[in-house]
Order: sequence, then C-alpha cells, then structure tokens
Amino acid sequence: MDRIWDFSSVFASRELLLVGLGNTVKLGVTCLVIGLTAGLFVGAARYSRNRLVNWPASAFVEVFRNTPALVQIMWFFFAFPIISPFNIDAFTAAALALSLNATAFCAEIYRGGIQSIERGQWDAAKAIGMSYSQQMRRIILPQAITRMVPAFMNRAVELMKMTSLASVIAFGELMHQGKAIATYNFNPIETFTVVALIFFVLIYPLALGVLRFEARLGRSQ
Amino acid sequence: MGEVLRVENLHKSFGPNHVLKGIDLTVEKGQAVVLIGASGSGKSTLLRCVNFMEIPSDGRVWLNGEAVGRERNGKTEYREHSLIPIRTHVGMVFQHFNLFPHMTARQNVMEGPRTVLRLTRATCVKRAEKYLAKVGLSDKFDAYPAHLSGGQQQRVAIARALAMEPQLMLFDEVTSALDPELVGEVLRTLKDLASEGMTMVVVTHELGFAYSVADKVVFLHEGRIHEQGTPDEILVRPSQTRTRDFLRGHATFRLPEAQF
Ligand SMILES: Nc1ncnc2c1ncn2[C@@H]1O[C@H](COP(=O)(O)OP(=O)(O)OP(=O)(O)O)[C@@H](O)[C@H]1O
Ligand SMILES: [Mg+2]
Repeated sequence: MDRIWDFSSVFASRELLLVGLGNTVKLGVTCLVIGLTAGLFVGAARYSRNRLVNWPASAFVEVFRNTPALVQIMWFFFAFPIISPFNIDAFTAAALALSLNATAFCAEIYRGGIQSIERGQWDAAKAIGMSYSQQMRRIILPQAITRMVPAFMNRAVELMKMTSLASVIAFGELMHQGKAIATYNFNPIETFTVVALIFFVLIYPLALGVLRFEARLGRSQ
Repeated sequence: MGEVLRVENLHKSFGPNHVLKGIDLTVEKGQAVVLIGASGSGKSTLLRCVNFMEIPSDGRVWLNGEAVGRERNGKTEYREHSLIPIRTHVGMVFQHFNLFPHMTARQNVMEGPRTVLRLTRATCVKRAEKYLAKVGLSDKFDAYPAHLSGGQQQRVAIARALAMEPQLMLFDEVTSALDPELVGEVLRTLKDLASEGMTMVVVTHELGFAYSVADKVVFLHEGRIHEQGTPDEILVRPSQTRTRDFLRGHATFRLPEAQF
C-alpha cells in the first residue's frame, strides 16, 4: 500500500491533456448549439397537429432518447459510412450522434416548456389580435424559456459528460488523451484522477448555475 | 342607433357535443347586454364565437353591419388573417384575468397597441397610462401581476382590452374568480364603462349588477336563448319556468335593491 503518487509524469503530458480539453469543449459546445437550435424545430414539429409532421419528429425523439449514446456514436462511426456515400471522421461521427441526441432531448424540453404555459395565456394573446407567431414570440416563449433554462443547463452537464464516450472511436478528447497517457506512462491512477478533476472543474460551474437559477426562480414565484 | 353586433342562427359543436343550437342576438351601439344561464349552457362558447376565438359551425356574425367570413359554396369560410382585425375590434376579458406575468401592468396594456396595432412607443405608453388611470390604477404602472390583488389584476386586464379601443367588449364571468370583497371594485369599473356608453356583452352570475346595468338580459338554456328582455321582464317577472328555476337558485339575489 505504499504506493508513490507521481503526478509529474501526468504534468509532463499536459500538452496532450490540453489538446484533449480543447476537443472536449469543441465537441460539447458544437453539440449543444446544434441541439438547442434543431431541438426548437423538432419540438415545434412534435407539437404540430399535422400527423405527417409530428409522427416523424416523435419517432426521431424516441429513437434517440431510448438508445444508449455510446451505441449512437458507434453506429455513426461504423455503420453510417457503409450505408451512405460519405466518409466520416471520428469528430464528425461523434458530433453527429451527440448533436442528434441533444436535439431529441432539447426538443422534449421545448415541448414540455411550451405545454406548461396555461391555455389562458394563448387566449389572452389571441384576444388582443396577435397572430400565432406573435403569441409565441411575445407571450409564450419568454415565459417558457425561463422555465426551460434549468433543464437546458442539466442537458449541457450531461452532454459534457457524454463527450467522453467519443474516446471509443479514438476521437482525441480528454478521456482518449488520458488513456493514451496512462498506457504510455503506466500511471492510470494519476492520469485518470487528473482527467476526472478537469471534467469536474469544467462541469461543476454549470451544475452550480442550475442550482442558483432554480433558487432564483423559486424566489420569484 | 347602429347595430354593433348581430348573430344569426349561430351553431357550435365540439365533435358530437352540440353546444350552441341556433342563437339569434343583436346588440345596439351603447347597449349593455347581460347573458345569464346555468353552467354548461354555452355562455362562454357564445362569447368566444363572437370574437372568433372559436369558429362557429354554422350561422353568421355581423360586426358593425359587416358580415364576418366569406360565403363560398353555401359554406362560410374564415381565414385566420381576416379574423385578426375582428379580434382587435372586439375586446375580451376572462374569468382568470390571464395577465402576462412577465410584464408590468403598463407593459401588459401596451402590448396590443404596440405589437398588433404597431403604434409608436410613446403613443402606447400614453394609452396604457390613460386606461390604467381609467380603471383606477394610476399608482400601479410598474407593478407585476404577481404583486397585484385579484381585483387589481382584473382591472389591468380590462385596461388591456380597452387600450385596443374596441367597438365591443365581452366580459366572461370576470368576477367569478375573485374573493367576495374584491368583486365590487370590478363591477364598479364595468358599470362606469356601461354608463359611458361602451357597448358590451357581459356573462355574469351577479344578478344585482345585471338588474341595475343591463339594457337587455338574455337567458341561455342548453344552447338556446330561452328568454330575453329588459331586466324587469327577465329577472323580476320571467315568463318561463326554466328562467324562474334558474333565478331561484340564486338565493342571494333580492330585488329591487342592487347590492354593490
Ligand atoms: N374547447 C372546447 N372543446 C370541447 N368542448 C368544449 C370546449 N369549450 C366548451 N366546450 C363544451 O361546451 C359546453 C358549454 O361550455 P361553456 O364553457 O360555453 O359553458 P358556460 O355556459 O360558459 O359554463 P360555465 O358557467 O361553467 O362557464 C360544455 O359542455 C363544454 O364542455
Ligand atoms: Mg363559461
């Protein structure tokens, strides 16, 4: 049990970890931005009364919510290039899988947020002559988005964690870089301790933000 | 006196549920018409058909002498964009106020003139303050709905509808959600509006108010107008048994003194 902790070998590989951190952030932010944007449209489609619109949107959401993200990443990396004419690198595969995953979850957040607004708000907006898009833009979304923010922040936390799954297809994010360093230096304990710490420092402020925001919402109601 | 509203043979069904079964009603300029009837008789549905929040299944509605919708192959067609001007000319106030909680009283009242009528910001502010003052809320311009009492919220909602300067106002049980001690202030606002000549249709269970303010009382029963006439004819000497039964259910109503 008299193990000697040796972080110097990890420190020596800091360049590799920094590259990994950069890639983790790049993947996470890309997927979050795409998920937040595309999710609005998929959420709206799911909300639509037109079956040709809401059925495919629902199918999409259910598939991505009810399969593991790891499988989605593997599928886009190994299966997608075979059935499509595109060659795909590890970043694209991971970004595609996690973006669609984020889209599915964000769509549900949008839909839930909009549905949580009482019917009376729509009525009142309509009664003063607002068009559907005015009702949505001026009355419904401003209220719904406030309620959605904590859920979106939780999604961002989940997403940042999920980026580590991309290590299985050798995308050079933090986890993958950590694996490489650990294998090369035989120091898995120190390396993964550092990797965990970096993830924590990256994610904890987000989680803290959720708590703060929820407390503020609680006070204002 | 011109006719502001004319409803002919109005029907409304929700799926198999036939709610309005041929309503004929006219409202003259400056009149206050009070609509009474049991729960589920279709009062709200009738109001909502008048400002086209609900599309009538059959029949026709005229506002200021103009038929709403287009006749086509024996069916009346309603295009959403043609209904928007109708809604701006017909104000509606709801039982549950439905103020926009993310806006102050002033912003609530400005919203329609600004977003829908596209008036200048300065005009909208002036209008908002004018109508808030009119309902007695000059000291609440910057208050959020959550910080107002029910009666104050409902008066903001009335100001919000008035700020569109509508030709007809619809009130759907606007005091039913209020604590008893707050009912009076809202009814007084309505009474003032009526005495200033606002044309209005009011759904209410406040029969004292109906008696003292209405030019015409309409009793709705199971989707039909069962009886209508002056407050005296309907509330004091109803000719129909159903009307009498309905009135007997309102034990607190004692004539002739109006109690607010
Ligand atoms: N949007 C709707 N969809 C389906 N049914 C509806 C809808 N709105 C009203 N109804 C039905 O129409 C009937 C009449 O309802 P309405 O709200 O017009 O009655 P009301 O006279 O206003 O009653 P209350 O005094 O309870 O407000 C009820 O059976 C109700 O269930
Ligand atoms: Mg009703």
